[in-house]
Amino acid sequence: MMKRYNLLFPVLLGAILFAQCLFAQPQSMHPAFPLLDGNGKNVLQSAQPVSTMLTCGNCHDTRYIESHSGHVAFGLFPLNTQDSTASPQHWNRTLYNLLTMNMKNPATGSVANQLMSYGARHVGGGMAVYSSTGQRLDNIPAQTDNPETSYWDMNAGQIAAWNWRESGVVEMNCFICHIPVIDNQARQAELAAGRFAWANTATLARAGIVNKTAVGFAYNKTSFLADGSVDPDKIRISDPGNDNCGSCHGIVHNAATDILISPGCNAAQWATETTGQIISPQKIAVSGMNLVNKNDLTRSWDIHAERLVECVDCHHSANNPAYYQESASSKPQHLNFDARKMSIQEYLYRPSHQFVRGQSWQLSTSTQTANTMRRCESCHNAESTHAWLPYKNRHFNALACESCHIPKLYSPTRRLVDWTVINDHGQPRTECRSIDGKFGSLSTPIYGYEPVLLGRIEPDGRQRLAPYNIISLWYWVHGAPEQPVTLAMLQQVYYPNGSPANNVLASLDANQNGALDDDELCLDTPAKIDLVANKLAALGLNSPRIKSVLAPFAIHHNVAGREWVTRNCESCHSNQSLITRPFLLANNYPHNVQPDLITTGILDMNGSLQSQEGGLVFKPSARAAGFYILGHDRVNGVQIAGAALFILVLLGISAHGLLRYIASRKLLKTKEKTKQVYMYTAYERIWHWLQALAIIGLIFTGLIIHSPSVFGVLSFSYAIYLHNVLALILLVNAFLSAFYHFASGKIKMFLPEPEGFFSQAIDQMLYYLSGIFKGAPHPFEKTHDKKLNPLQKLTYLVILNILLPVQIITGILIWGAQHWPTIAAKLGGLLFLVPFHSLVAWFFAAFLILHIYLTTTGHTATSSIKAMISGWEEIKKS
Amino acid sequence: MKRQSFKWILLLFSVALFLIAPILLLIPRPAKQSDPWSNLPTRPIHTNHADLIKGEFADGSAVTRRCLECHEDAAVQIMKTSHWTWESEPVSIMGHPKPVILGKKNAINNFCIGITSNWPPCTACHAGYGWADNSFDFGNHENVDCLVCHDGSGQYVKGNAGYPAEGVDLVAAARSVKIATRDNCGGCHFRGGGGDAVKHGDLDGSLYFPSERIDVHMGKHNFICTDCHVTRNHDIKGRSISVSFHAQNQVYCTDCHDKNLHADERITAHVSTVACQTCHIPEAALKEATKMHWDWSAAGQDLPEDTHEYLKIKGRFVYAKNIQPEYFWYNGSATHYILGDKIDPDEPTMLNPPNGDINDRNARIFPFKVHTAKQIFDAQYNYLLVPKTYGKGGFWTEFDWNQAAKLGSADTGLPYSGHFGFVSTVMFWPITHMVATKEKALQCIDCHSDTQKSRMDWTALGYDGDPMFRGGRKTSKL
Repeated sequence: MMKRYNLLFPVLLGAILFAQCLFAQPQSMHPAFPLLDGNGKNVLQSAQPVSTMLTCGNCHDTRYIESHSGHVAFGLFPLNTQDSTASPQHWNRTLYNLLTMNMKNPATGSVANQLMSYGARHVGGGMAVYSSTGQRLDNIPAQTDNPETSYWDMNAGQIAAWNWRESGVVEMNCFICHIPVIDNQARQAELAAGRFAWANTATLARAGIVNKTAVGFAYNKTSFLADGSVDPDKIRISDPGNDNCGSCHGIVHNAATDILISPGCNAAQWATETTGQIISPQKIAVSGMNLVNKNDLTRSWDIHAERLVECVDCHHSANNPAYYQESASSKPQHLNFDARKMSIQEYLYRPSHQFVRGQSWQLSTSTQTANTMRRCESCHNAESTHAWLPYKNRHFNALACESCHIPKLYSPTRRLVDWTVINDHGQPRTECRSIDGKFGSLSTPIYGYEPVLLGRIEPDGRQRLAPYNIISLWYWVHGAPEQPVTLAMLQQVYYPNGSPANNVLASLDANQNGALDDDELCLDTPAKIDLVANKLAALGLNSPRIKSVLAPFAIHHNVAGREWVTRNCESCHSNQSLITRPFLLANNYPHNVQPDLITTGILDMNGSLQSQEGGLVFKPSARAAGFYILGHDRVNGVQIAGAALFILVLLGISAHGLLRYIASRKLLKTKEKTKQVYMYTAYERIWHWLQALAIIGLIFTGLIIHSPSVFGVLSFSYAIYLHNVLALILLVNAFLSAFYHFASGKIKMFLPEPEGFFSQAIDQMLYYLSGIFKGAPHPFEKTHDKKLNPLQKLTYLVILNILLPVQIITGILIWGAQHWPTIAAKLGGLLFLVPFHSLVAWFFAAFLILHIYLTTTGHTATSSIKAMISGWEEIKKS
Repeated sequence: MKRQSFKWILLLFSVALFLIAPILLLIPRPAKQSDPWSNLPTRPIHTNHADLIKGEFADGSAVTRRCLECHEDAAVQIMKTSHWTWESEPVSIMGHPKPVILGKKNAINNFCIGITSNWPPCTACHAGYGWADNSFDFGNHENVDCLVCHDGSGQYVKGNAGYPAEGVDLVAAARSVKIATRDNCGGCHFRGGGGDAVKHGDLDGSLYFPSERIDVHMGKHNFICTDCHVTRNHDIKGRSISVSFHAQNQVYCTDCHDKNLHADERITAHVSTVACQTCHIPEAALKEATKMHWDWSAAGQDLPEDTHEYLKIKGRFVYAKNIQPEYFWYNGSATHYILGDKIDPDEPTMLNPPNGDINDRNARIFPFKVHTAKQIFDAQYNYLLVPKTYGKGGFWTEFDWNQAAKLGSADTGLPYSGHFGFVSTVMFWPITHMVATKEKALQCIDCHSDTQKSRMDWTALGYDGDPMFRGGRKTSKL
């Protein structure tokens, strides 16, 4: 007994009493290393800023890393190139920088200015270290006419030389991604102040390795080991965690316990600003955000974060041997797996810092890393989890996974930026999605927003609908080729001496409080536009005008768990289809200036811009994108033509019937001799009624599928199911009856006899047109073997040889669009097949009522129907 | 014509057959779902006893006699159960030559320690009348207390030795009898340890009228205890390792819920290693703080008193609310400290460590409230003592540990050396009530994260590391 306790003690004791202390995080495997300055000296001796290139370069090939990093290459824009000054066709970073940086004109934009304004978004290295000629910036002479060595001095209002030797350069910042506790604030402060050399060192402040001093940073001796290395427990070098990525890319919230509070819509967190994506494992209901119906939002912000999939698990280094897989296209056919992998040692020496990623519209032409990432289906087996989904392949081919799996985003998100006006902080007018009211107040209710689905060409070449946020942008351009009007120029127009210009105020200040309030800032009348345009022209700008562009941002994160996914058929297959619901682009926008829809690259915005309550909405059209959504789309021409045919027949038989009724009252009622003839065999009757009910059922369920909003007595999916089964019944029944008629030779009665067919047909027609009203006898006697008159033969010839096969084939192709999409596509796709199928359905409906009416033209009104029930028909004895 | 109408029906029938058969044959059927409600016992229909019971009752036993007039077997049934015997069947355990009988009667805990020599206040929760000392007659039917479980008047309270407290209206109580509700069970079980919420951590007064937040079964679905603790012939299902070795007659979530009900395969994979409670009870003591630590050695001093911090008669306490359980392997049984077992005074003594480890296929990771204490032991013979606290000469009146140990030991029959000390002890209280709604269940990150504090101490549980990366328990080392 006691032995048992002794055995338990080590385990239980550790657990109960010392659990908190004994099991701290596993220590980093990274060995201790000294921090070196730019001369390779230990910073403890030199007190100089850390050189990451030399410090990390002791073991890793930092030059290789720097030259294989999208983060280094993408961060800054090249100056004085065609691309930077001309207004590009679509929204990009260059344009953004020009519009937001306080520079007089694009030509004066300097590396130093860029680093101060946007260095926070750049990891350093590349253009922040080297000139266009490849020399280090701190080694070339400072000249005011070289944008690499000059800057726009805001206070002096002029260009001055930038002393790189004093400021230092920004080397690639290894720390911001590779240590868990980073001081991004301190880093950004150094960058904004132009103390570039200290920026990377400042990143170490929160980890307790350095302390801020008046001149820079001092190294905290207690964080170093006796041999001059940094204490590995303090710096804890590791692979990047979500927090590291989140320091630039968007809101990352890694704590399940601390509640998440964020106003969103913040330019410093661009992935959240542009899409509303928040990477957090926390349940939305638990967060501190003022979401409407928050208690019901028991899903997590991001299911991948919830399930501990980290950013770098998908966006891994391109040559990380743990993740790298040769693509199916490049690997030899005889191998399933190439066991030869790069050694860990080689990888750690030269890890590529090109991180695999998906594709984006903005960067689709500029980089080779697009689509290097594994996709949803690389990890997820959609085939096995979508058994419930009817037509799953059809859906997979038309919809990106994200379209259903990211139904809604819950952070305030940018809707619009209007640079045609600026407020007294030099900021453009903005609008945010997800909220209704004042942005930035924590009490403003957040509703979330549902993204718009745009057609995107996916890596497999197929166009699928995928979720996007669209930010609409307005800004002034001038000259030819057009150039954007910079923020500095707008300052001169709106706030020439720091306060609003008088005539601008007179025009815009609706409440006349002497200031330009947020809701007054909009050039929503021609007069306001003219006023500002004239003032810009007065500054020497040639033909200033407002331009508008749309910037689409794809949404891939914030995937929801299964209960939260769009899975009601009616969400898309109805009049209120979410695929075509209008997407608000602007509540307010410059008068009459509308952006072009994007039709380039991988994106095709199919639809139209519409004004709605003074705002601008994008109304997507799935049909224009090549999708025909059952239950939502219809071709009006087909419906009108079909309905017209049906109504004509209805009117025709009504008139005919009325005339017959009137005529019958005038006719002498003579008792005619009749006889009972065995007209229809049991099989014929069963066959007939089965087909009749199947067709009626098909028309009925077809109506529901066609317009569930009007005829929705059954659920959409059930209607489809019934329609398919009825079609199967009809098909089998038709096949069996064809066999019966061929085998028994009864097929003959359907075949017109060539001899005298036309004159007989005319006789029959004349009977219907006149004889019937006069009580004339039927021109042809109906017998067991010859049931059909010439007109019937003609009708059935058309129905059995044209309408029925066409309807069956189109039906099978529509059903089979999931299995053989290429065949359906060759025949016009659903866009053609479905309207055609419904047109033929109208013919069937018209035939149906005509057929029913004509059954009343037998010996008595009901004798034909009775015959089809009992088999015995009463016909006139001749 | 008769023949024709017959054909009509035949035709209709055959057409309908051809039409409907394929539809029914091919209709997509939703996956079969288990229905936990179907496993719930039916609550007996209440018979109003108000008119059946007349007259005055001299004492509790008089009521019992009246009950037994109709419910002839009730006393016999109760007397077979642990609610009456406060002990188990004899169990053979290692280190003890004879089978051990364990129960509330003789178990040592680290709250009020033991009932021996302290009977009257402890047996206030005995389902009988008059257990005041060793001489209680467990065979007398009239000693059975029917009202404690069946009173519906709400004013029936028991006092020392289980007698009705003064002022109780026995007639009203007797006329109000009905099936046991949360009130009846809670009267003792919510107040284990001598006060509300003291002992269990997952059972306290907040469960009398719980909200959904406190307990999804009792709050949202208005369960009563016996819906899960199914009762047959007065034998109530369920047991606790605080007073027993085994898991026989235990209540399980899977009594009602399908073991494979999670839609997510990943979660289903957890079911064989993780108890339902582990994920579905993220926190216990949700409303009332529960006792986490009890230091008897500090008792007897004249310090400022506070029920939740210090009492002269009991010592110092630590209470906590919203406690995060601790997790251990547990196969349903426990090892138990038996009166007289030797201890190592330098190490904490586990009074009821749950059995099971990573290699035990029947064990699953289970949440526990861990209660630690410093309690009296014999410093020479090295075993725990049951001190006399209550009554004449007891510690609560005399504040003399030596005398309390001597008097207590006289009743337990265990020799006392005259030297006492205080030793650390640990008790494990399985957390199984206060089940949260499914939305509040633990998520991956709660146990499998290295960026924040994981609830699981994987190496202590016997894993090589986080099983998300290292794999679950294996039969052989990889």
